[in-house]
Amino acid sequence: MSEMDISDPLKPAVLHILLALAEGERHGYAIMQAVREQSRGGVPLRTGSFYRHLSQLLEAGWVGEVKAPAGDDPRRGAYYRLTPRGRTALQAERARLVALLDAFPRRSARRSHS
Amino acid sequence: MRRASPGRWLDVALRCYPRAYRVRFEPGMRNALERDWARARHAGPAALVAFCVVTAIDALRFGLAERCHPRGGFSMSSFLAVDVRDALRSLRASPVVTLVAVVSLAFGIGANTALFSLLDSIVLKPLPVRHPSRLVVVDGGSWTNPIWEQIRERRHDIFEDAFAWSGERFNLATHGETDYVDGAWASGSIFDTLGIGAAFGRTYTAADDVHGGGPDGAVAVVSYGFWQRRLGGAADAIGRHLTLNGVDVAVVGVMPRGFFGPDVGRSADIIAPIGAAELMPGRQALLDGRSTWWLEIMGRLKPAQTIEQAAARLNAVRPSIREATLPQNWPPKELANYLPEPLKLVPGANGQSDLRRSYVKPLQIVLGLVAAVLAIACANLANLLLARAAARRSELSVRLALGASRFRLAKQLLAEAAMLAAAGALLGLLVAQWGSALLVRQLATSSQGVTLDLSPDWRVLLFTVAVAMLTAIVFGTAPALGVGGVSANDAIRAQTRTVTGDRRFSLRNALVAVQVALSLALVVGGLLFVRTLTALASASLGFTPQGLIAIDLSARANALEPPARLQLFERARQAVADVPGVSQAALSVLTPVGSMRWNTVVAPTPLTTGLTDRKRLSWVNLVSPGWFGTLGMRLMAGRDFDGHDTAGTPAVMIVNESFARRFLGEPAAAIGREVRTSLEGPDVLTYRVVGIVNDAVYTDVRKGFEPTVFVPLAQVHQMPAEIVVTARAAGGDGERLTRALAAAMTRTDAQVSFTIHPLAEQLRSAVRQERLTAILAGFFGVMALLLAAVGLYGLASHAVAQRRAEIGIRMALGADPQRVVRLVLGRLLVLLSIGLALGVVLSWWTVALFEQLLFGLRPRDPMTFSTGCGVLVLAALAAGWLPARRAARMDPVRALREA
Repeated sequence: MSEMDISDPLKPAVLHILLALAEGERHGYAIMQAVREQSRGGVPLRTGSFYRHLSQLLEAGWVGEVKAPAGDDPRRGAYYRLTPRGRTALQAERARLVALLDAFPRRSARRSHS
Repeated sequence: MRRASPGRWLDVALRCYPRAYRVRFEPGMRNALERDWARARHAGPAALVAFCVVTAIDALRFGLAERCHPRGGFSMSSFLAVDVRDALRSLRASPVVTLVAVVSLAFGIGANTALFSLLDSIVLKPLPVRHPSRLVVVDGGSWTNPIWEQIRERRHDIFEDAFAWSGERFNLATHGETDYVDGAWASGSIFDTLGIGAAFGRTYTAADDVHGGGPDGAVAVVSYGFWQRRLGGAADAIGRHLTLNGVDVAVVGVMPRGFFGPDVGRSADIIAPIGAAELMPGRQALLDGRSTWWLEIMGRLKPAQTIEQAAARLNAVRPSIREATLPQNWPPKELANYLPEPLKLVPGANGQSDLRRSYVKPLQIVLGLVAAVLAIACANLANLLLARAAARRSELSVRLALGASRFRLAKQLLAEAAMLAAAGALLGLLVAQWGSALLVRQLATSSQGVTLDLSPDWRVLLFTVAVAMLTAIVFGTAPALGVGGVSANDAIRAQTRTVTGDRRFSLRNALVAVQVALSLALVVGGLLFVRTLTALASASLGFTPQGLIAIDLSARANALEPPARLQLFERARQAVADVPGVSQAALSVLTPVGSMRWNTVVAPTPLTTGLTDRKRLSWVNLVSPGWFGTLGMRLMAGRDFDGHDTAGTPAVMIVNESFARRFLGEPAAAIGREVRTSLEGPDVLTYRVVGIVNDAVYTDVRKGFEPTVFVPLAQVHQMPAEIVVTARAAGGDGERLTRALAAAMTRTDAQVSFTIHPLAEQLRSAVRQERLTAILAGFFGVMALLLAAVGLYGLASHAVAQRRAEIGIRMALGADPQRVVRLVLGRLLVLLSIGLALGVVLSWWTVALFEQLLFGLRPRDPMTFSTGCGVLVLAALAAGWLPARRAARMDPVRALREA
């Protein structure tokens, strides 16, 4: 649970948080909701675990805090965006996943029971 | 009603996180939690409970994780951090045990906290004003306005400041059906003394508090809640006019949110100056009355002043205060007592409260019962954790073999208990928030609302933390001690075949016996309170309340001369009697079991010569002809009042049997005798007894029947401005008639104001303290019984599982199923008997505390004790039955093979 490293595979929750932020700046609850929708509930993200991930992402400099848009309800808390480092990490993960998919034999999915 | 929100609870939950983390994320986290809460609430109660459990555990888990693995400077000792981490892991490994433990602790701790916060708000919480510790109250009941005015002139010599007030229900309606709001008359110095400013507009001062209203006329301030509820929270509420008991007042300000006046439990929604009370129609004498005792007086001590110093100063001026306020028309003997009576001061930081007298003792008792329920639940948890520790015996012994110290293992088991208790406590706060709000609703009656500040203060939080720690120690110690019995060899030794199982009188057995003892005490307590309630509900009243509707009628606004009032009342009675569905209607000044009462000292009769005045008191009521019949009372001898008993004919009286027996001898011989007493003013009049009625309750079911006299309403010289029309509904169901009755009253006279309420409701609210106590004691008694049954069941199942091989052998050797059942139940019954013996001793001692709260039975009622024991025996047999049957149906071959 220490330093985040771009060369390591991302945890599903972290990946989903980065994906949600790739679409633009969002406040905390909007990120949680986006993750829940993206993963169709597959990633169990609750307030406690979400903010723990978020604080680690902020620490690693992958995510940054931004000013809320003018006229926004202050009760929602801070807004967050992806930093260039975060974007790099997301790209690295994407490359890793693509490589992983490429490693699958083309027809293996259909012959899985053979 | 305020929508249930997790607001304050979230504050507590978020406190689990370190400060720096909270500063950074709190708004976002709160927003997310509140929105998830709303979603869970929408999804139903099960989802909400699940959300709360998960949130409580998450707050502890991630909050502690943040504290233990910080990225900031603060570091918790890694020594403890490891334990917390291991504890969380091991709790996650057995989610069902964890869930059961957390939820049962949440209810146990929550119920304790709910009752404690109720007691806290009634007894302990200081008034939400500036420096409440410097407030003092002039003790000894109420005071007259002349006395207050004397103190008022000297208040800065005696205190820093002082004020007088009197709680009052203000009728906001000018006529027709009443619209009551709780409020108070208070002197001009109330806001300065308490240090309360206005949220909007202004408060009033001494300049506004003069007889008949100040420069702005009669004014009033309203509470924040009233302003929101009734004035729409509008800015132009200032300057609006209200009618308080017929007095027109202008609203000059709104009090700050959270200030409810100096009475605790009773929200003063409107406060108006005492001087304006003089404007109430028909109450002109209120301010000058030297024997109208209606005000409470509160002072604020000077910064370094002690309560004794203030009392000394007050008593130094007492002679002149007393001299200037001597009541007129008092007999010299009482005046002689009046002059030297000292004035006492008592601390007033917690305000005044009627709730204290009737509720503190029952709430303390119920808090004791709930604590015992928590103890029983703790015993179950200890058993659960013991069973789990037994299952983890090999894990623990491996760790011992690898070099862990016993202390290290015990510490981890304690850490698990602590985490469970902490999650339970956090969730318990939420349960308490709901529970105490539910309890407060039970305290209120239709005529008297109850407002208490239930927000958790430091006392409640401290209490909850203390309970949680105690709980963790109680149920965590047993498994931790069990580590002592584990040896490193256990792991090396292969699973040995044991035949007999554990037959020692183990810790688990002791826990179950204690459970039985505690639950017997709770069951006996519950039975006593439930039987008290049923005894009160079935006690003979002497009249039939079903179908009776009382209409409290006020003709104060009518400006009628007293004789004309009787005609108005009679028209109202006739109008009520004409309503379809009403079989009878009659008038009286008082209703039985009401809050109003009237007594008189009867001049000595041959039977009562030499008795003190107190022993010659009788209750009084003024009634119209037909009143006894309407209430369902019986005339035992003589006649009822009739149309011939008027102001011009000789004064007559009807007395009840108790009165006849105490004052006149045999009831039958009392007809025609004379009774002398003074009902109006100082003159003693002679009344001739013309009838005897059966005994009926006058004030309180608990007091039973007391001597009562009835005088015809038509023979009264000073006709009161308020009267009760009592109607009997023909079908017995009075509630249906309310609307028709209101219409009839309005038709009779447009100016009268009235309140309609079923008499049965009045009776119900008279026993609401007993009902609440019985419900709570009964509920927790049943809970204790269930918990004890679960404990017994667990023990019996465990015993059967452990002795599987032994039972198998016995059966293989020819023991019949009956013997096996006896084997299992027999051991249970031994434990039960030990538990019951302990329980009888325990309850014998505790029930003595209930004595004052019981009615119709003694605390050490043998019937209740034996019923309680019987119930527990049945519960134990039921709990033991399933495991015993399982044992009896066991296949001996399989049992032996698997052992």
